[in-house]
Amino acid sequence: MTSRSQARLGRSVLLHLFLTPLALVWLFPLWMMVVFSTMPDNGIFSPGIELLPHDNFLDNVANLQRDTNFIGAIGISVAVAVTYTVLSVLLTSMAGWALARYEFHGKGAVVAIIFGTITLPYAVVLIPQFIMVARDFALANTWIALIVPPLFNSLGVLFMRQAFSMMPAELFDAARVEGVKEWRIFLFVALPLARPMLAALAIILFLASWNNYLWPLLINSQPGAMTAPVALGTLIGLTKVSWGGIMAGAVMLTVPMLIVFVLLQRHFIAGIAAGAVK
Amino acid sequence: MRTQNATAYRFLTPYLLVFAVFWIWPIVSSFLISFQATRTVPWRFAPTFNWGRLIGDPAFYNALKNTLLILVIQVPVMISLAIVMAVLLNSPLLKARGLYRFAFFAPVVVGEVAYSAVFRLMFSLDFGIVNKLLESVGLAKIDWFSNVTPAMALIMIAVTWRWAGYNAILILAGLQSIPEDVYEAATLDRVSKLKQFLYITLPLLKPVIVFCAVLSIIGTMQLFTEPFLITERGGPGGGTETLGLLLYRQGFRSLNFGYASAVAYTMAGLAIAITLVQLWLTREPK
Amino acid sequence: MAAVTLTNVVKRFGVFEVVHGANIDIADGEFVVFVGPSGCGKSTLLRMIAGLEDISGGDIAIGGKVMNDVEPADRGIAMVFQSYALYPHMTVEQNLSFGLRMNGNPKPDTERRVKRAAEILRIDELMQRRPKQLSGGQRQRVAIGRAIVREPQVFLFDEPLSNLDAELRVQMRVEISRLHKELGVTMIYVTHDQTEAMTLADRIVVLKGGNVEQIGRPLDLYNDPTNRFVAGFIGSPKMNFIKARIVGRDARGVVVELAGEEKTRIVQPLAGAAPEPGSKVVVGVRPEHFGNAGEGDADIAVAIDVVEHLGGTSFLYAKTANGEDVVIQRDAAKVPDTSEIIVSIRKSYLFDEKGLRLR
Repeated sequence: MTSRSQARLGRSVLLHLFLTPLALVWLFPLWMMVVFSTMPDNGIFSPGIELLPHDNFLDNVANLQRDTNFIGAIGISVAVAVTYTVLSVLLTSMAGWALARYEFHGKGAVVAIIFGTITLPYAVVLIPQFIMVARDFALANTWIALIVPPLFNSLGVLFMRQAFSMMPAELFDAARVEGVKEWRIFLFVALPLARPMLAALAIILFLASWNNYLWPLLINSQPGAMTAPVALGTLIGLTKVSWGGIMAGAVMLTVPMLIVFVLLQRHFIAGIAAGAVK
Repeated sequence: MRTQNATAYRFLTPYLLVFAVFWIWPIVSSFLISFQATRTVPWRFAPTFNWGRLIGDPAFYNALKNTLLILVIQVPVMISLAIVMAVLLNSPLLKARGLYRFAFFAPVVVGEVAYSAVFRLMFSLDFGIVNKLLESVGLAKIDWFSNVTPAMALIMIAVTWRWAGYNAILILAGLQSIPEDVYEAATLDRVSKLKQFLYITLPLLKPVIVFCAVLSIIGTMQLFTEPFLITERGGPGGGTETLGLLLYRQGFRSLNFGYASAVAYTMAGLAIAITLVQLWLTREPK
Repeated sequence: MAAVTLTNVVKRFGVFEVVHGANIDIADGEFVVFVGPSGCGKSTLLRMIAGLEDISGGDIAIGGKVMNDVEPADRGIAMVFQSYALYPHMTVEQNLSFGLRMNGNPKPDTERRVKRAAEILRIDELMQRRPKQLSGGQRQRVAIGRAIVREPQVFLFDEPLSNLDAELRVQMRVEISRLHKELGVTMIYVTHDQTEAMTLADRIVVLKGGNVEQIGRPLDLYNDPTNRFVAGFIGSPKMNFIKARIVGRDARGVVVELAGEEKTRIVQPLAGAAPEPGSKVVVGVRPEHFGNAGEGDADIAVAIDVVEHLGGTSFLYAKTANGEDVVIQRDAAKVPDTSEIIVSIRKSYLFDEKGLRLR
């Protein structure tokens, strides 16, 4: 072996010796979530160290369901996340298209307001949103309250504006010369070409809605109207609650997202990374 | 391009409606509410009522102090860790890259509630796996929830675990946009790997790192779920109460909207200041 | 089929005027090429004819009808873009039929038109492929096919060949010429390449800085340019420009002395008024208008720097006595082996200081 390849091997070994323990530490909480979700409560609260899964998962799901209607809450979460994702992708890609592809009066102002307020903390709008939705519109504990207010999120507008403005303008001019109506150009030329970006955006938005906690906690606090994270959150800190059940709930919230993450990793990472490469 | 007002606004209006009603108007409204006494019916305009109280409120200073403390310690640690992760994940020498990526990026998809529950259990005093492991190597167990310092540390550990990979993704994207031939040229110039990192990689990554730092600061500033669920409503005794938690307590437990809005605008002020710093740090050299 | 008329057409982007009142008449069935360096406004003009840019002033009429406020699709035009602008997610067939389908054209008619276009361009076998699977030349054909399918009165081409390699460019040039003969419709073609302009056009419109410099048939522009810009732009290699001054006037025309060549006189026929003796002028000589010593109007001595052999002909890169660069075209067989030679000027053009032709 040459000295160069020896040096490379040495560096490679060092790299893996450092990164492997770090990776294991990082995986540990997720692993323990799975392990806890399969253990009976008296196993979780016992002095021994348990690092491998048991077979109590289904009992824990039953325990959880006894403590709160988690399956129902999952149903609400799925329906809300799907509806929110579809609506948000539609609204923001339309807006992004307009900003990327048309000249119009007030464009500068619209862009300035969206960009200028993007770093304001969400906390600022929390109270007026709550007053408006709960008091003025009397929509607390409805699906509309969960779906519509979060649609203000401008991430998709910026993301899709970027995506559309990177496409060659001649493509749309060609369709225009052929007499294709603007909304059809959007629907049949622009959107199909933006498929990878739409996928990335949809994943990010779905995840955001699925994991959203603070707003659903405030606005939908009645048992029958809670989303899954809120329902699970109400159990944390209670006495006489099944922790195995809570962990089973955490697994049900997390594992589907992990599977999506593994399957669609490329889109996922593109969606997150697009935030930085502006 | 031709000017097409009607077409453009047809595409834009649906979003702008939602944006105006649920974002722009609340921003204005929140500002106005912060100048009103909201616990009388009807609300009345009282410019110094909430802001005056805020300035003299020990709970506010406590929450501000805790928030800034977390910011100052957790954000630099996490960003450094994220840089290390990204650089190592980008190494051509790495085998089984997918597994490592999964390990570091997976927390990005985990919801706050789920991981708060896990951390609470992992760090519990007598039965938590962390204390069991500490004892098994001969160390004393730590009471993570009853003492302020370990409780703060726990919050920081949890947030770092959840968000380091997210920042690593951003930094990795930045790394991959640096052209390979820059490094090849440096190698031919006999520049060591370490110096390449210090004098090529880091300067080119600066905008991304600043961006990550700003995102993290603004995110951490609003920290709510972790102290709410892990350390039980900002416990022990308000020791981990953040501005986000104070806002929640005042706004939605005490229904004191005016005071909570003043807290919210304090956060907004901090966010604006930090954004201006970012713009200054990443300004184009003239 | 239709004539195209531009009357005082102006384009402004904000306060910035990029086309300063263009007047161009294009006859029905004519092939007109807009040529000029980048930024001369040629593509902007074409896009205004297409309706893709607003018209800031003046009128554009197609077939006698003013089209300023008419939608692109209703102007009876079709356009071929520089990047081809093929829809990447559609097959060739879908690309060709997209516009017709979107506008509810009856299916049998759409199929007939697509089939005809495919036959004309010989792309029948590519119909089920996607743009990514096509070569540059094939993509170009599909782009043209998409224009044919519209059965337009006017074809617009925006630098359609600039993404092709040299060989394909020549091939497609011939193809477009053939297409024009076959279809017999008006074609307007934008390019920065004067060779394309010379070979394709019935008439050429030379543009510079948003102004129409000259309009004419290719050989008229070559033989009789109105100014120094057109003279330099048309012809390859470029016309040489040599500093000179007026020394007098005789019965045959105006007498000019080349800078650094006190003994050499060139006499130019001149109809109009001659500038004052002593005023500075420029003499233009095309590389192919240099001859052997004694064969032309005047002889000058040049020092050869570099010789480029192209096979049949050669180009001599040389300097005059005054140090000005000139390019001289020679038969390959007649390239001298000395570095100093005398050449004659067989034909020349005279320009005043502002660049206007003196004739």
